[in-house]
Amino acid sequence: MAVLLRKLMEALLTLICATVILFMLIRLAPGDPAVLLLGQPSEVAAMHTEVYEQKAAELREQWGLDQPMAIQYVSWLGRLVQLDLGTSLHTGRAVSAELAERLPATLQLTAAALAVQLLLGFWLGIVSALKAGTFSDQLIRLACVTLASTPAFVTGLCALLLFAVTLGAYEISSEASWSRLWLPALTMGLASMPQFARMVRANMLAELGQTYVLAALSRGLARRRVIGQASRNALLPLVTVTALSAATFASGAVVIESLFAWPGIGKYALDSILRKDYPVIQGYAFVMVTLVILIHLCVDVLYAYIDPRLQRKRRQVTRGVNEHA
Amino acid sequence: MHSTRRSVSLIAGTVLLGLLAVLIAGAHWISPYDPVQQHAAERLEKPSAQHPFGTDRFGRDLLARTLHGGQITLLSAMAALSGALAIGLAVGLAAGMFHNSLLDRLFMRMIDVLLAFPFMVLAMVVAALFGTSLFHLLLAVIAVGWVTFARLARSVVLQARNETSFAAARVLGASNRTLILRELAPKALSPVLILATFELGSLILSIAALSFLGLGAQPPTPEWGSMLADGREYVLQSPHIMFGPALFIMLSVLAFNLIGEGLRDRLDPYEKPQL
Repeated sequence: MAVLLRKLMEALLTLICATVILFMLIRLAPGDPAVLLLGQPSEVAAMHTEVYEQKAAELREQWGLDQPMAIQYVSWLGRLVQLDLGTSLHTGRAVSAELAERLPATLQLTAAALAVQLLLGFWLGIVSALKAGTFSDQLIRLACVTLASTPAFVTGLCALLLFAVTLGAYEISSEASWSRLWLPALTMGLASMPQFARMVRANMLAELGQTYVLAALSRGLARRRVIGQASRNALLPLVTVTALSAATFASGAVVIESLFAWPGIGKYALDSILRKDYPVIQGYAFVMVTLVILIHLCVDVLYAYIDPRLQRKRRQVTRGVNEHA
Repeated sequence: MHSTRRSVSLIAGTVLLGLLAVLIAGAHWISPYDPVQQHAAERLEKPSAQHPFGTDRFGRDLLARTLHGGQITLLSAMAALSGALAIGLAVGLAAGMFHNSLLDRLFMRMIDVLLAFPFMVLAMVVAALFGTSLFHLLLAVIAVGWVTFARLARSVVLQARNETSFAAARVLGASNRTLILRELAPKALSPVLILATFELGSLILSIAALSFLGLGAQPPTPEWGSMLADGREYVLQSPHIMFGPALFIMLSVLAFNLIGEGLRDRLDPYEKPQL
């Protein structure tokens, strides 16, 4: 319980620090925040100068832009706590509603991609470890290195070209339907699979090199059974790696969603950058950071409960994942 | 037997990297075309002897653009890496040297917070606020990238502090500065540089992905990711336009990954096949 409480406090502190960074970034940006939130006068063509000035003044009042920074931050934080992320400049609707509408599509895509990554990664990693040094091991490793060197958007473009244009088996539209899920999920899963397969292989080899495995084998236990037992030990730490890679999927999703016109929050955020819809970007960043912190918290708590001895080992394993976060 | 096979990827990666470097450095001699000069008459031409990679939607020679783009992509990746490396080493050394001090705790808190920012998300926020340009993209990359190096450097330093040589130097009256520069920095440097080899590959991928989304180099600058972004609407009709930049991104990342893989095989004692 004490562990849980401490982790919770730490997560909360991290979240608060993250909001400070997000808040400071608006203030650091060149130009008047009111103009930033309202759109440049030249871009808001339909508005008279006086009306624009009046609106900007209203906004300054509403956001308290004339007050000291600390007070602005606290009132902004207060709105965040009530899940008020502001309103979109483009549609005029609440950002929280816009994001909530699109979140399921992203979650659907992420879950499917994760499944692809896990299935392929475990399979290839275990085969590669058991046949270490043989031709098939080399082949798998070569394939993984090549795949890891290919940008996801290149794989995606090739997949689109092959399945949508040449074969006509994939429908190009901007809907999130089950029949359109497989190609983006496959692309996204394939992009993150090599790193995972590598870790499965490394953990398996490290475990199979332990003395207890040799001892069990020399006592005449069936090879199959020994490997089964060893792999359980080897693969448990990867539970967390999986959870943490779900966080990096959040980044990858932007590219894939944009490429396949998948209507998730990543694509929405990207479109909003091009429209200079600032409140949406801020809301998106806040949601993503909160999600990542929540995932980290869950992993930490899960670990404390599964096996306290693994704490040290986990740090070694996760180092590999966070490199790409 | 074993050691030669283990070096294969290291050698292959180095050779590939050298080859790419020669091609990219010699862009002027290999392809005589101007990478930004437009020729309306030669739009979207298929690969030919005259244009080995074909031409893009403005009639620009794609081989010339790919090779010149390589200079920008690789140099910007190197610049981002050097920035992240410098900050990461400095922070890691300082945090490790003054372990458990206020400074160390502050740095660790900062690292925790930055780890919660998915790289893409921070880059998008920066692009939205400060404008889309390669420079801002690199700033965002550095802002997130130094964390990995700092963590590694700090953990190496914490180990090195327990060694006799460090205690001896301290007993002999070495100043903190000498301790950091003479005792700790050399030990932290090599693992951090090895990590940097891996990171360079993934950095190129990240920069290309962000440029592909339109958040990096802006047209008409030739850059691999933005070249692919530029041809995106035409790629389904004339797929050849993505061949050049896609191939070169792949090969350069592959080169760094092979070198990294080779180094890892040599240095990691646990990954030897045992059964």
